[in-house]
Amino acid sequence: MDYAGRLSAHLPLATRLLVIKADGSLLVHSDGGSYKPLNWMSPPCTFAVSEPDDVQTDAGATEIWTVTHTKTSDRLIVSVHEVLHDSSHELGIDPGLQKDGVEAHLQKLLAEQLGLLGDGHTLVRREYMTAIGPVDILARDGDGRSVAIELKRRGDIDGVEQLTRYLELMNRDPLLSPVTGVFAAQEIKPQARTLAEDRGIRCLVLDYDAMKGVDSGVPTLF
Amino acid sequence: MRFQANRDVLSEAVSFTVKLLPQRTTLPILSGVLISTTDDGISLSAFDYEVSAQTQISAAVEEPGRVLVSGRLLAEIASKLPNAPVSFATDDNRIVVTCGSASFTLLSMPVEEYPTLPQIEGESGLVPADEFSEAVAQVAVAASRDDVTPVITGVQLEISQNRLSLVATDRYRVAVREIDWDGSVGRSEPSTALIPARTLQEIGKTFGHNGNIQVTLVAKDDRELIAFTAEKKTVTSLLIKGNFPPVKRLFPETVENYAVINTADLIEATRRVSLVLEREAALRFTFNVDGLTLEAIGSEQAQASESVEALVTGDDTVVSLKPQFLLDGLSAVHSEFVRISFTKTDNPNKPGPVLVTSQTSKEQAGSDSYRYLLQPNLLLR
Repeated sequence: MDYAGRLSAHLPLATRLLVIKADGSLLVHSDGGSYKPLNWMSPPCTFAVSEPDDVQTDAGATEIWTVTHTKTSDRLIVSVHEVLHDSSHELGIDPGLQKDGVEAHLQKLLAEQLGLLGDGHTLVRREYMTAIGPVDILARDGDGRSVAIELKRRGDIDGVEQLTRYLELMNRDPLLSPVTGVFAAQEIKPQARTLAEDRGIRCLVLDYDAMKGVDSGVPTLF
Repeated sequence: MRFQANRDVLSEAVSFTVKLLPQRTTLPILSGVLISTTDDGISLSAFDYEVSAQTQISAAVEEPGRVLVSGRLLAEIASKLPNAPVSFATDDNRIVVTCGSASFTLLSMPVEEYPTLPQIEGESGLVPADEFSEAVAQVAVAASRDDVTPVITGVQLEISQNRLSLVATDRYRVAVREIDWDGSVGRSEPSTALIPARTLQEIGKTFGHNGNIQVTLVAKDDRELIAFTAEKKTVTSLLIKGNFPPVKRLFPETVENYAVINTADLIEATRRVSLVLEREAALRFTFNVDGLTLEAIGSEQAQASESVEALVTGDDTVVSLKPQFLLDGLSAVHSEFVRISFTKTDNPNKPGPVLVTSQTSKEQAGSDSYRYLLQPNLLLR
């Protein structure tokens, strides 16, 4: 296997897993290294199969695959000696990665358990829409003042910045103002906590298991 | 401003003042120590809106004034100065510190922007410093370190008549200690205060050898704080808001089933046997007529067991306890023997709590009021 173009690389003859994707890309994997291919050609590229010449046939090749990048003319040339297994599958439409499953669940649970914020808190609505995006939860505290809650799995500086932007905008609304902020997460980084508290935003650490009602298995006194 | 002070006195005062300051602060002036001259010396103070520390030392003041200077830097300098009187003098916005042949120039920070320290007025009482310090060390270890429940990250102080009780819990154990409270200097109505455990631990260490500590509860503009004063040193801390769970009622009124064991023997055996345990795993304690047997199931690679002499009264009992939690209680009883009492329960999914108290001899219960209640784990076999 040879890569020619902006850089040259050679992979010696060995048993490999080759993945050809519908976008035309080719990835060469070994039995290890997790998701990382040993070599690859990214799209846009063209794929061509040709007969080996005499020298290549003498070396044992039965097919030559050439993947050429359309823009840079980089080429990945594969000398196929033996095919152990060949199959083709249609994967259909990719539903995408659902990263925020826990965050959405936390939002639902916290909206149901607003008592965690303090006594007397009531829900106004989840996903309260502002001009720059939705605030996770808008609530009112015991005295009827607005509370904007930003929920994260891991609370870092970015989350605090996000909540700060929402708060600034919401405080311009005479019907909502004054709005205080609560930054709620399963874990809050010390730097994020410092920044939040400096801006007058309250930090709330959530116990996801306890909110779900999952017993840790270790008995407690109360 | 110009003054001269004793090197050791100054160094001790500076290190006391900066001890409770946070490592990093969002307001740089809060990392400073405020030095101001008084009638007969100087006062040093530090404040970060949560905690404040203030002390007064005698010094020869030649010119009155106030300066704010980096606390940590001053503490390091003061601890390394040669053995000679230290003199401070301001020169524009600089402070010149001279001691023997050494001389330092430090930049001063704007005094005008520094916040005013909390005023201490309110109901107060006196506690013996050594007893208070011991009580804090015994109790604070049981406080929770989990931010999910901020209320129990503090130590609860409960004042009633002539007793002060300290309570801490992390839901797996509860530690309680009562000490004398002399409320004759002020009013002594029953009241409570919830103080961050870490701050209280530092206070306990600082005031350990100072005779009596004056404790004052200050309530002003809905900011509640507590002040500790002894020998011209004062520390204040904001209180944690919220209601501390009523954990004292978890303690059993009477127990008939208990074992008395030599404390040091049990501590050593627990440490030894728990070596083979995986993290978070519990030790199995079997109490019967032959004494106590400790067993660590451990992993496939290692198991351990050890027997300790124990005087068991009542039924044979088997409990599963987390070694570190038991050790925290055992290390705090401060007596030659320890009494481990077992409570009964009707709940099959939750073993009855175990009570650790002091015992001066095999027969005689300890005189102090330290009690440590520990929830055992479920027995696995």
